[in-house]
Amino acid sequence: MDFKWTRKDLLSLYDLSREEIECILDTAQEFKKVSERKVKKVPALRGKTVVNFFVEPSTRTRISFELAEQRLSADIINVAADVSSLKKGETLLDTVKNIEALQVDLVVLRHSATGAQDFIAKHLKCGVINAGDGAHSHPTQALLDIFTMRERFGSLEGLNVTIVGDILHSRVARSDLWGLTKLGANVTLAGPATLVPEEFNCIPNVRVCHNMKDALEGADVVNMLRIQHERQTSGFFPSTNEYSKYFGLNSGTVKYLRKDAMVMHPGPINRDVEIASEIADGPQSVILQQVTNGLAVRMAVLFLVAECVK
Amino acid sequence: MGMEKVICEAAAVNSAIETIADAIIKDFCSDDKIEEFALAGLFKQGVPLSHRIAKIIEKKCNIKVPVAALDISMYRDDFGLRSALPLINETVIPFDMDMTNLILVDDVLSTGRTIRAALDAVTDYGRPNLIKLAVLVDRGNVEYPIRADYAGMNLQVDADKKIKVEFTENDGIDRISEIKWKK
Repeated sequence: MDFKWTRKDLLSLYDLSREEIECILDTAQEFKKVSERKVKKVPALRGKTVVNFFVEPSTRTRISFELAEQRLSADIINVAADVSSLKKGETLLDTVKNIEALQVDLVVLRHSATGAQDFIAKHLKCGVINAGDGAHSHPTQALLDIFTMRERFGSLEGLNVTIVGDILHSRVARSDLWGLTKLGANVTLAGPATLVPEEFNCIPNVRVCHNMKDALEGADVVNMLRIQHERQTSGFFPSTNEYSKYFGLNSGTVKYLRKDAMVMHPGPINRDVEIASEIADGPQSVILQQVTNGLAVRMAVLFLVAECVK
Repeated sequence: MGMEKVICEAAAVNSAIETIADAIIKDFCSDDKIEEFALAGLFKQGVPLSHRIAKIIEKKCNIKVPVAALDISMYRDDFGLRSALPLINETVIPFDMDMTNLILVDDVLSTGRTIRAALDAVTDYGRPNLIKLAVLVDRGNVEYPIRADYAGMNLQVDADKKIKVEFTENDGIDRISEIKWKK
């Protein structure tokens, strides 16, 4: 295969070709083994500096990126929004330009504003990795979801993947959607009509549905999204209890799901809201494998992108 | 690549591989005592070469030779200097690196930088008793204090030329040629 990775930024899976996604997944497979060795570290990013800039709070994604960087031997700086100069009124671009002036090689950015990473990537020579922007994109989450599916099923061609929850506000759902359809999977988006816009029906190999029986029957994988607390009181559905009963994965709805289907969740879980505890901890769940794979995928992304920063 | 000059064809390639195998046998498989050892081929061309060497030794000495495949991309020191990143291949080590006698296998010993990276990689996997180096072609312009313990052939090559090794397993033909190296 003559494919070569050439991007200095990872902004969205929407931009990537199937070959580029597969290149990240193949690379991640080898990086996964690094974490299984006695010496869990390689010198690939020795001498490179990475800034983890999390304007929107995050624990698991930040820890995962930070550990990935450490296992690649990079030097790391963590910046959180509440202690950065953004609080004093500095613009995002000025803040990152100042960071870049310190000869930084990569910036991993999470921001609540859609497109923040695209904007700064255009203005910086250093590489930019999107660790989540608004409701738009969270490419490394989608890559780890896809990696976990590929690990089990070998190929995503023809795989039926159902994503349940607040599709309207979910960057995970959007990223999964682009990645999955590019690799040949069929995607079902399910949830209350207020949270799953009909417009998604227009995308090839994507269908929208509003009941769990229809959503779960025939699914090889179901990805249960978290219902964010702020949505629970904003009128998108009558009550958390009602949401949980009709769109949660629980003893009432799990009977529609095949016994060998894979259950995923991007975390953090609202136990017994979108997923019942016994299912989250049960044999069909791969939630913790997703976390393990997230590390490998982020190592691969850092490795590939860093190579293209000149 | 028009500037390609064939140095040797299949017969000479195979006899050079046999030279390596015989030298390893001399060191590890004497009549009175057989010492355990393993081979580790470096991607890309060290991998088929290591299997060829193992096959000859297995046939001649009636022993089993464990063979590993090692990708050292994560250990290179020219990160960011290359125009494009090679894809990472699967590292497979079917034995315990600790306490083994390990023979690294690569197609060409040139600057020695690949071998330096391989030594870093190997020590992350374990602590071999002994590490030796076998190459098909020693072109003798190392930039590091690294030398081959077993060489199939020694070639004097100008600095602006590159040695290209092809194996049937990867390229459909056994051949060694000299090409103009554009840097």
